[in-house]
Amino acid sequence: MDSFFPALQAILNGVLTGALYSLIGMGMALIFGVMRIVNFAHGAFMMVGMYATYVLFERTGLNPYFGFLASAIYLFLLGYLFYWGLLKRIQGQSDFMQILLTLGCGLILTDGTQLLFGADYHQINLALLGKNVHLGRQISLNAPWLISFGIALALGALLYFFVMHTMHGRAARAIAQNPYAAPLMGINVHRVQAFSFGVGVAAAGIAGGLLLPVFYLYPTVGDQFTLKAFVMVVLGGMGSIQGAAIAGLVLGVVENLTSLFWGNEWALAVDFVIFLLVLSLRPSGIFGSQRV
Amino acid sequence: MRRAQLLIAILSVSLSLAAPLVVRSDYLFQVLFRVSLFAALGLAWNLVGGYAGQLSLGHAAYFGAGAYGLALFSKAGIHPWSALLLAVLVAVLFAALIGGVSFRLRGPYFTLSTIAFAEVLRLAAKNLVSITSGDVGLPVPGLFAKSFVRSLYLAAVLLTAVTLGITAWVSRSKFGYYLMAIREDEDTALSVGVNAARSKLMVLLLSAALTALGGGLYGSLFLFIVPDQVFSIDISVEMAIVAMLGGAGTILGPLIGAAILESAAELLKNLFHEAHLLIYGILIVLVVLFLPEGITGSLAHRLRPRSAMAAPSSKEPDTVPK
Amino acid sequence: MPLLGLHGVSKKFGGLLALNQVSFSIHEGEVAFIVGPNGAGKTTLFNLIAGVFHPSEGSIHFQGQEISQLSPDRAVRLGIGRTFQIVRPLRNLTVLENTMLGAFLHTTSPARAAQEAEKVLRFLHMGNIMHLPARGLPLPTLKRLEITRALATRPKLILLDEVVAGLSTAEALALAELLRRLPEWGIGAIAGVEHVMPVVMRMADRVIVLDHGTMIGEGKPEEMVRKPEVIEAYLGSKYKELGL
Repeated sequence: MDSFFPALQAILNGVLTGALYSLIGMGMALIFGVMRIVNFAHGAFMMVGMYATYVLFERTGLNPYFGFLASAIYLFLLGYLFYWGLLKRIQGQSDFMQILLTLGCGLILTDGTQLLFGADYHQINLALLGKNVHLGRQISLNAPWLISFGIALALGALLYFFVMHTMHGRAARAIAQNPYAAPLMGINVHRVQAFSFGVGVAAAGIAGGLLLPVFYLYPTVGDQFTLKAFVMVVLGGMGSIQGAAIAGLVLGVVENLTSLFWGNEWALAVDFVIFLLVLSLRPSGIFGSQRV
Repeated sequence: MRRAQLLIAILSVSLSLAAPLVVRSDYLFQVLFRVSLFAALGLAWNLVGGYAGQLSLGHAAYFGAGAYGLALFSKAGIHPWSALLLAVLVAVLFAALIGGVSFRLRGPYFTLSTIAFAEVLRLAAKNLVSITSGDVGLPVPGLFAKSFVRSLYLAAVLLTAVTLGITAWVSRSKFGYYLMAIREDEDTALSVGVNAARSKLMVLLLSAALTALGGGLYGSLFLFIVPDQVFSIDISVEMAIVAMLGGAGTILGPLIGAAILESAAELLKNLFHEAHLLIYGILIVLVVLFLPEGITGSLAHRLRPRSAMAAPSSKEPDTVPK
Repeated sequence: MPLLGLHGVSKKFGGLLALNQVSFSIHEGEVAFIVGPNGAGKTTLFNLIAGVFHPSEGSIHFQGQEISQLSPDRAVRLGIGRTFQIVRPLRNLTVLENTMLGAFLHTTSPARAAQEAEKVLRFLHMGNIMHLPARGLPLPTLKRLEITRALATRPKLILLDEVVAGLSTAEALALAELLRRLPEWGIGAIAGVEHVMPVVMRMADRVIVLDHGTMIGEGKPEEMVRKPEVIEAYLGSKYKELGL
């Protein structure tokens, strides 16, 4: 059993990574569920969250584990305005127009960031960075990942609670189930959608902030997360929040195991292969029921 | 309207062929190469995205297959032009595979699956180092020995002309009507006997072949390619923007789109350096908000009769068929 | 041999039994209408015949050939034309082009298809609006467009799914007059689904009554409207209101 401990280590690392993926995926699923919009700017919003947290850290020394809260508010507002200013204007148009619009906005965010900050890689220096928590002799967990994991788990639960048990969440789910009947029930569809978009984007931004201590930062860092978020939404069953959360964890584990056995460079490719397999074989997703 | 568009298109392609009479600098030829290459690519995308309404954002798969195919087959000792043909064949095979899976999906799922396929190919090109040298890249043979850039430019114009001819044929054939029916409403198309699956696949194969030829020419101009360059989603997006900006589902649209987008990008690159990157995003947003039918589409729409509240007349005599 | 024969056709969607053991046939030269309250399974029945859905049980024969597993495009090539209850025009194409798409079933030449389409359009009094795009047309016109498109495929059997619903009674009866002349187009039989009883009474040779997915009656229209089960299931109040 030479590979037992390495595999266990990979699985644990995968769960830690996966919790952050889950947060991103839940945000995307919320947006997709409520608006039927595939948010191609999702990764770019995550990247903006990373940069916002980074700027706060560099300028004021604010620890990213607190700074992410500020960037969450910033991203919520950004998403909220984005909805009222742009998305609302093209509602009812074809899917492709919505894809193009979010894609275009994602490009503006990415390229704008590159203009402001350059294309260089950055990483912040936290005292915590090299610290590990040991579980026995064979297994150790990286401390910053562990903290990010804890926060992501708590916030993921909070997001789930928000969607399932608050007025806003109920309204959002009503719209997801029937966008035509919802206004008849006295739901202000635009307000709820704007709010949901803000929350969904903020979730991605929070994940960005939490990734900052453990990840390199560069303008196109979000691109791969947009695609990963799709993978989670599809895997989790279109628009299912809890499905996306589970899919995020699975994706984290699968990626880490892929890295262990085949090499890091294949991790992303495996994501896409899973994605294509699920889309073509079981389009209703694996970890959730499809919401139509 | 269609005839006017075709006339303008033929005129501009003919003028492009005459460019070598006045243009001397290699730099200018490179810019013109890009314009005509993306005109051809936009037209190729337009067959699938504009006429059939299947909004692929994965055409980089065929573009990259063309470039990498040319490089790899040449490396194996095959004559560059034969290598290019083989590369096209490979791209068509990819298209058959991708279409077989993706066309079973509709709407955003289709688009996402095309992206995923192109990304898988990009990652394969990066990671299968023993074949592709990975991120180090591969040399591509120059397809022409003499006056290299100028010849490539003319080849790109020729590709545009061929693609234009195919588009003109499609736009007025039964095949083209079937594609448009699929775009407008696939269930209606099925109800009048359109084999939607076959029609979509056919047009994708055609589009992929043309795109691969473009990819080959592109690789040949740079003489060297890396995966992130030719399999990049940016290529797919640019092809789509060229067509959408000019007017998807029109003959002339992609030509106008390519002329505007590529020359604007070049101009802004010289004027603002880094900032030119922003143009793609801004253009996409502007097109979506203000020109959803593209330049040609909006013009054509304005010139067309409006159907305010037209109703069938009851005065017309009935005609009885034989 | 009947033109169309259904034998014990059932259709389940998940746990819902939409159609239960439906059997009937339609003969050459016949006009048969399927009536029933909302949700009785009428449109499902048409979708089964047109190949959109496949039956969970039972068989469907068209001209003696088993067709229950065919795709919609194959069904129309055999000669089963259909309209959609909720109109599905090709919005960015003109009225002529919409109709040409049907005509392309028998020709590859756009000119020939246009000629054929024009004939059909004139028959339904739409010659004057041929060159308008379908988007923005009012509903009665779009309902007719559904018919011209199906008619242009030169079907042997045409399935008309509530083509007069939403029209005024006068418009509906005018259209019914035209539809009675469909056999001139070589159409062997007409199968319709309709709520508008005056049209059914005037057009139908035979009425098939569905309720909750089950056939509860079949016969001449004037017989059917007298049958107690039928009246109870559907016609009762409505029939009296109409005063027929």
